[in-house]
Amino acid sequence: MIVTILVTCLALFLFQKIIWLVVPSLLALMIYYCLRPLVERLVFRGVRHGMAVTGTVSVVLLITIAIVFVSAPFLLIRIGQLQNTVDHYFGGGQNLLRKTIQALEEAIPALKGASLGLKVDLQIQEFTTHFADRYLGKLLLQLLEWLPSLFLVPYLTYFLLKDSTRFKKFLIRSIPNAFFEKSLLLFARLDESLRSFFQGLLVLTFLDTLCLAMGLLVLGVSPAFLLGLIAAVLAWIPYLGSAIGCIMVVLVAATDFPNHPSVAYSCLALFLCVRLLDDYVFLPLTIGRKLHIHPLLTVLMFFLGATVAGGTGLVLALPVLGVVAAVAGIVAEVLTDRRLRFRYQAARALVAASARSQPHQLPPIAEP
Amino acid sequence: MKLFSTPADRKNVELLRQLDVFRDLSFNEALELDELLHERVFEKGEIVFEKGDMGHGIFVVISGKVRVDPCGELFKDAVLEFGPGEMLGELSLFEEAPRFTTVIAVERTVVVALFRAEFSTLLTKNTKIGAKVLMRLCTTMSQRFRRLLLRERHSPSL
Repeated sequence: MIVTILVTCLALFLFQKIIWLVVPSLLALMIYYCLRPLVERLVFRGVRHGMAVTGTVSVVLLITIAIVFVSAPFLLIRIGQLQNTVDHYFGGGQNLLRKTIQALEEAIPALKGASLGLKVDLQIQEFTTHFADRYLGKLLLQLLEWLPSLFLVPYLTYFLLKDSTRFKKFLIRSIPNAFFEKSLLLFARLDESLRSFFQGLLVLTFLDTLCLAMGLLVLGVSPAFLLGLIAAVLAWIPYLGSAIGCIMVVLVAATDFPNHPSVAYSCLALFLCVRLLDDYVFLPLTIGRKLHIHPLLTVLMFFLGATVAGGTGLVLALPVLGVVAAVAGIVAEVLTDRRLRFRYQAARALVAASARSQPHQLPPIAEP
Repeated sequence: MKLFSTPADRKNVELLRQLDVFRDLSFNEALELDELLHERVFEKGEIVFEKGDMGHGIFVVISGKVRVDPCGELFKDAVLEFGPGEMLGELSLFEEAPRFTTVIAVERTVVVALFRAEFSTLLTKNTKIGAKVLMRLCTTMSQRFRRLLLRERHSPSL
């Protein structure tokens, strides 16, 4: 386990340097697993593999371009007003917090003496005043740096769909005969785990979006669907993403209903309900618990990831840990098989003994 | 342009189609199947698979020769050598069970391996190719079983 954590930290450190490639690769891998059933269905219906891949990727790309074009004017206006929007919603949040603390101070007189409300108010004032200077600019710059690399996503997805079997074959060619069969089995298991994880994640995101959007609609918070979708996508980052999504929706509710704090509290309750639904109903039904990581390790990895690779490490810590753990499992299972190790050593001795020097070519088959 | 392909691809596909188990496939079908096959080269004396190993697929001999370790009453009358075009380990394509014999290369041998998980994908994704290969596999197994029952000298199913 220590080796896995160390390798994960090293990977995060390296990934930080090539983040422009890591993020599109992860997205491409996710889209690959989601589109693969479509391609397989087309092949099943008699379409050639290459045609099926080109057709599927083209259709998805066209849909994406259409969505981007439709939403671009709206997004550009929003980005132009980002500073005002952030101030507006933080103001709403501050108002909610002030009211909550007031209510608490009224309920528990001991808190009044500690002047908790004043201290929290000052802290939030300080944070919101300097938020734009300290974080917003940086965040936008990072986003602008990342955006061009997203053009790699369709390109990578296309080649993953088209040549993944060849790539796998290419990788397996380098595995010695002794470990070949077992490695193949473990590769297949890893592929199956990743497939069920990514496809499950997509279904889970759909269910989360649906539940949150329905809940927000009932509460009267808008835009319900967009907020639900953003919160569901943010939940891809375990714990941290859910918390950010929850805060975002509560801020919106607090701002839109300044005189009704109960709406914001209801949003909080809605998030808790959806979280419970996720953990006890949706997760076992969709992703399962194949990539289960202990909560203690999760927190540890957040800290390690943030220390080693900053914000990037924080976001990528768990996905990278999951992949490293799965690959480490394969390597360990193959290399700790004594029987296979002995067979490998014997085969190496045979290869060394043979006088073969020419590269291998398939000889013709004798006619029966 | 195809990534990770070798210039010998076309030749390999033609060779595949000469193998008994793949002889019903058209060129394009063999080309698709070729992507799922793994070519391995075993030196003289090297173990292809061993008794007790969990079997995960079949091996088809392309060139060279392999010998089955004579173990048990079952193989006492059997031809224990397999040459080009013959397949090994076909039972494990249908059932995850330990191999019940050891196979060793008698000379430098080239085989192609078809893995169970990939064969399952082929059966669901490209049923036409899958059915053709499956039919050939069943024919070979049936012939071997018949000979076993008649106690003829035969290549055993492994």
